[in-house]
Amino acid sequence: MAVTEDPGKPRNWSERIGVLQDRIYDKIFHNYVWQSIFRSGYPNTPRNQMLVVATNVFLHLHPTRLHRTHVKVTHTYCLGGLTFFMFLILTVTGVLLMFYYVPSVERAYQDIAELETNVKFGLLMRNMHRWTAHAMVILVFLHMMRVFYTGAYKPPREFNWVVGVILLVLTLVLSFTGYLLPWDQLALWAATIGLGIAGSAPYFGDETQLIVFGGFEIGPSTLLRFYTLHVIALPLLAAIFMAVHFWRIRRDGGMARPL
Amino acid sequence: MAVEAQRPAARPAEPARPRPKREREEEVLVWPDLVFIEFVAAVLFTITFLLLSVFINAPLLNHANQDVTPNPSKAPWYFLNLQELLLHMDKSWAGVLLPTVALAFFAVIPYLDRSRQAQGVWFGTKYAVRLTVIAAVYAVVVSAGLVIFDAGDRTHTESLTRWIPSCDTQAAHQGSPCLRDADPTKHEGIISVKDVSKRLQFSVPFPNIWGIHDKNLDWPGDLDHIPVPLNNVCGNIGSFHLWCDMHLNIPVIMSDQVIPLSTIAFLAVLIIYVLFRLGWVRTRRDVFLIMFTAVMASYLTLSMIGSFFRGQAQALIPPWDIKVDEG
Repeated sequence: MAVTEDPGKPRNWSERIGVLQDRIYDKIFHNYVWQSIFRSGYPNTPRNQMLVVATNVFLHLHPTRLHRTHVKVTHTYCLGGLTFFMFLILTVTGVLLMFYYVPSVERAYQDIAELETNVKFGLLMRNMHRWTAHAMVILVFLHMMRVFYTGAYKPPREFNWVVGVILLVLTLVLSFTGYLLPWDQLALWAATIGLGIAGSAPYFGDETQLIVFGGFEIGPSTLLRFYTLHVIALPLLAAIFMAVHFWRIRRDGGMARPL
Repeated sequence: MAVEAQRPAARPAEPARPRPKREREEEVLVWPDLVFIEFVAAVLFTITFLLLSVFINAPLLNHANQDVTPNPSKAPWYFLNLQELLLHMDKSWAGVLLPTVALAFFAVIPYLDRSRQAQGVWFGTKYAVRLTVIAAVYAVVVSAGLVIFDAGDRTHTESLTRWIPSCDTQAAHQGSPCLRDADPTKHEGIISVKDVSKRLQFSVPFPNIWGIHDKNLDWPGDLDHIPVPLNNVCGNIGSFHLWCDMHLNIPVIMSDQVIPLSTIAFLAVLIIYVLFRLGWVRTRRDVFLIMFTAVMASYLTLSMIGSFFRGQAQALIPPWDIKVDEG
């Protein structure tokens, strides 16, 4: 709300500065454009604090209020949220890496090598992508353990636990498909072990190798398949399951509480 | 809340009790209480990984080359446990079936443990902490122990079974169980479970039926190519070849499937049974607590062994002896 009251004439310099501050504040936060973006006022009253959560698309994943015990860090250690945060960092750094990377056997390795030496912050982006990817796998496991040991999978949250197990698998597969992309010796032979494991599936071994790896040995079609899975198919799938996962937390009554 | 208001107002006989707090009073606002914590956690992680990325570079080895196999070549750490299992049992069990069983087990936990007790608090049941610690230690010891036993030539666990005699290479039938030695001057006990199909030999008297012609049923010679009934019927469903020319290798099934899997199953049942008899396992939740903990702990243990204790040709060696031959 704009300041409508007449504050009277400022009597000294500090009051003058105060008036100036109010004017600037009004100009920034109470103008037509700002209020078209942020519907609620500055979150300094309980009402606005609830509105800011409820009316913001990103914050509305949260309820507006929650039980005191759930705010304690030792209850969740933020593990699920941090896993999601890793996913966000991976998306941003991954997009930046995609600018410089061509998934062909001829170019992939060279592109990564040049990214590290010729691109500003290229090495940093690749390192971030690598380490946060490992962190995401670790955090997914830790989050799963947290949910298990706090009994948070119990009714009515059974299905959300299953969605979580699917997300665990997706995270592992996402990480594994990314492992091949630098097309170095580490990548090739790790993927070869994966190929062997996939081929050992009873009855469907050959089919799994053909469909997932694009052949019976690691080659250009494997690289292209893993790239496509890694940059679009699996992240999209993971995002869908994450949306369900977060939605279900709210629908199933928020975080688990003792009876 | 409305119910409380309808209670009779005056009850002067009772001493003053603190009014139980209402649900709403126990709640805090997400903004700022939760959003602040999330923000701090995100900032801390961003800074941590930024610093980590500044100081430690992601590995980039030589250009991929199909002709040059690094020794040892390893899967990423989270699949190293599967790679480790591959050394000890049939590859379809190690690589596909056991992980599938483990994931399916995870997924069905909430459908089998439906009680609502012990939720929303860490280790909610009476003996939960104790059970978790015992299950974790047990799983670490057992999985490491089995790996050590299965590398008998390096860890000398073969000496435990050296009392089994060496096979008489001249005899047509071995009679009582014996171990065939590649080097006749050096007798070794069971080096790994695979020796059950590779080196163990014995025979029992048997009538001349079912393809036996010498009145003796020999292990493994007479049992490694048993035709499955009706295996001359060949049919294709799509590209799958079903039931065609299928033979069973009983000794290999024994050493690569039956023994490893029944050992795992037996050891799992054993710990649950013992803890049950001690009276610490009281609910279904407790059973799942043990199983979940044991799966997680052995997953981690096998990953560690795969990462730090497997050298060239996947031999079990201490970390400081591992040398990678890049080829």
